[in-house]
Amino acid sequence: MELVFYKIAILFYIAASLAYLLFLLLSSGSSAPIAFWCAAAGFVAHSLSILHRAIFSGFFPLATPFDAVSCFAWIVVGIFIVVRYRDPSPIFGSIAIPLAAVLMLFGSTLAYQVDQPLVPILRSWWLPIHVTLALAGNAVFALMAVGGLMYIFQERLIKRKRLGRLHKLLPSLEILDSINRRGLPLGFFFLTLGIISGALWAGSVWGYYWTWDPKETWSLITWFAYAAMVHQRAALGWRGKKAALLAILGFVLVMFTFFGVSLLMGGHHAFKSVVAGTTVP
Amino acid sequence: MSDGILVVGLNHATAPVNIRERITFPGDESGQVTRLFREIAQIQEAMILSTCNRAEVIAASDRPADASEEVIESIARIHGVEREPLRAYLYVKTGKEAVQHVFRVASSLDSMVVGEPQILGQVKDGYRRAADANATGPILNRLLHRAFFTAKRVRNETGVGAAAVSVAYVAVELAGKILGELRDKSVLLIGAGEMAELAARHLAGKVEKPIQVTNRTFENACSLARKLEGRPVPMDRLEEGLADADVVITSTGSCEPIITAARVRTVMKRRRYRPVFLIDIAIPRDVEPQVNDIDGVYVYNIDDLQAVADENMGERRHEALRGESIVLEEVDKFLNWTTGLDSAPTIVALRDKFEKIRSGEMEKSNGKLASLTPDQRRTVEIVTRGIINKIAHDPISFLKKTGTESKRNLHLDVAQKMFKLDGLALDANLEEDEFLDT
Repeated sequence: MELVFYKIAILFYIAASLAYLLFLLLSSGSSAPIAFWCAAAGFVAHSLSILHRAIFSGFFPLATPFDAVSCFAWIVVGIFIVVRYRDPSPIFGSIAIPLAAVLMLFGSTLAYQVDQPLVPILRSWWLPIHVTLALAGNAVFALMAVGGLMYIFQERLIKRKRLGRLHKLLPSLEILDSINRRGLPLGFFFLTLGIISGALWAGSVWGYYWTWDPKETWSLITWFAYAAMVHQRAALGWRGKKAALLAILGFVLVMFTFFGVSLLMGGHHAFKSVVAGTTVP
Repeated sequence: MSDGILVVGLNHATAPVNIRERITFPGDESGQVTRLFREIAQIQEAMILSTCNRAEVIAASDRPADASEEVIESIARIHGVEREPLRAYLYVKTGKEAVQHVFRVASSLDSMVVGEPQILGQVKDGYRRAADANATGPILNRLLHRAFFTAKRVRNETGVGAAAVSVAYVAVELAGKILGELRDKSVLLIGAGEMAELAARHLAGKVEKPIQVTNRTFENACSLARKLEGRPVPMDRLEEGLADADVVITSTGSCEPIITAARVRTVMKRRRYRPVFLIDIAIPRDVEPQVNDIDGVYVYNIDDLQAVADENMGERRHEALRGESIVLEEVDKFLNWTTGLDSAPTIVALRDKFEKIRSGEMEKSNGKLASLTPDQRRTVEIVTRGIINKIAHDPISFLKKTGTESKRNLHLDVAQKMFKLDGLALDANLEEDEFLDT
């Protein structure tokens, strides 16, 4: 019962994904708007779910792996909805929504119980600030990777002169590159603030700003990777295919930092510490 | 009633161009010629459809066989041609065939270039002229509105008009797919030639900056630039032109490629790797094949573009098949309606007519009823309404009875004639359609 909104949201996202799939396979014009409204309905249910979790846990609901993934997917869908008003081409949704659906399904396998009251360190306004910034960065990078994938497909089709259905469905190279051009500074900005806010939070609690915990280390590596991308793009004019490839590689790194480090390496970002209360670095 | 729909005409498939350009119904700007057809004794409603590939008279007639002869005679007379030789180019369709034909024409399935978008507007123009000249009536109103509806369905539900089928349009579309919004892009035309000019003209409609034109002889560049409202560029400043332009159309008579991979690499650096679309129309080629391998450079030659156009044409034909089945569906719906399988419109029309009579009479007696109190007035309303309901009750339940189809047709037909319902019944049904939306 406690995850009812979340489950409704998953159902809507899956329905939307299927409708987008139908659109891709049959290019049936009516399924794209249906898909969008399903996604929008899912987004509403999803928002309620997050609100519900906030009331349930009595605080900003970002303290469990479940909540983190849920929030991540929520930001992805939110960005998609904003973007859709600028570019109504359904192709972006055909990738963003299934991505959100997969994230949500994955999230539903993760622990969501908050058995004990949150440890005091997490009952801080730094939690929503830090986690939201970090997740917003991740979401932007995710959509950049999606745009990059689409760019690579579209560019291949044009180079090889195969201008079939897929080519017509995909947006222009210029639009796809603009996802990268606009997303890169935005995502980098969020990532930077996410890291800074984390450091400030740590500093305010423990007195050390930086402890080389695995998550911190990998976040820094990610930061350097995206800093390099920003540089290549701004100073050397890297764009198009190269930028698209980098966006995809960068996102692999982001995903490793987000999931891999937490699950494999421990440290004070591992969620189990949230309930165990062993948050001393 | 659908038996009474008649189409007499010719199109690109039945008549050569020298005939088509003679049969144009001149002087029909305000429907005078349409009136001539309407005035044929056997014809109740008529309209003319005239395009550069098509000339047709669409009519509603109670004796289509006789009417078709009269129509042919009139077409011959109007255009001052002999009737018998003309007959060889004409098709005559009646009934279901005629309905299907009108729907196919409006949906651009009968066009020379299947899916071309102008035809619907031309059908609408013809219909509007006829309607303004009072030459149309319930049957053609209904027929044409259903035709517009069908055309809309075909356009929305199939890709019949979606893909570009001319080389120049393919080039413009592709430019959009590579460069996005074309408004702020610049175009460079190297050399001259009919096809190059055509492509440049199409692009010129999309971009705001004047097209740059360069040529081996500067005078030629100047004259072509004047024609395209562009700007001439001397050939020795080609490199700068390439660094600036987003779309390059080349069509020179040079034996050696003038755009080599080495040259493009230098230019790309100067462009800061902004993508560029090269359209090579020259034979032999102006652009080295290896240029297409450079990142951000897209080279299409005339054969590539032609292949895309052909492929799109094939796709249109495929989509046209889906369009045909929509047409058949709509033809059936239309025939059901006309053959009166549906008694509802007639009943609605009958009720409307009675109510109209009642309220009309009430209005007339308004003066005499002026002394009544509001209560008394209301009573009169109720009484008169009661009377017409009683009168209408038996005929309506008679019409509602499900008998055999032919019997019901007869009943509906008699009822429509007896109460003069034609116009009403048909108009009542038109409200549901969205039409004349352009």
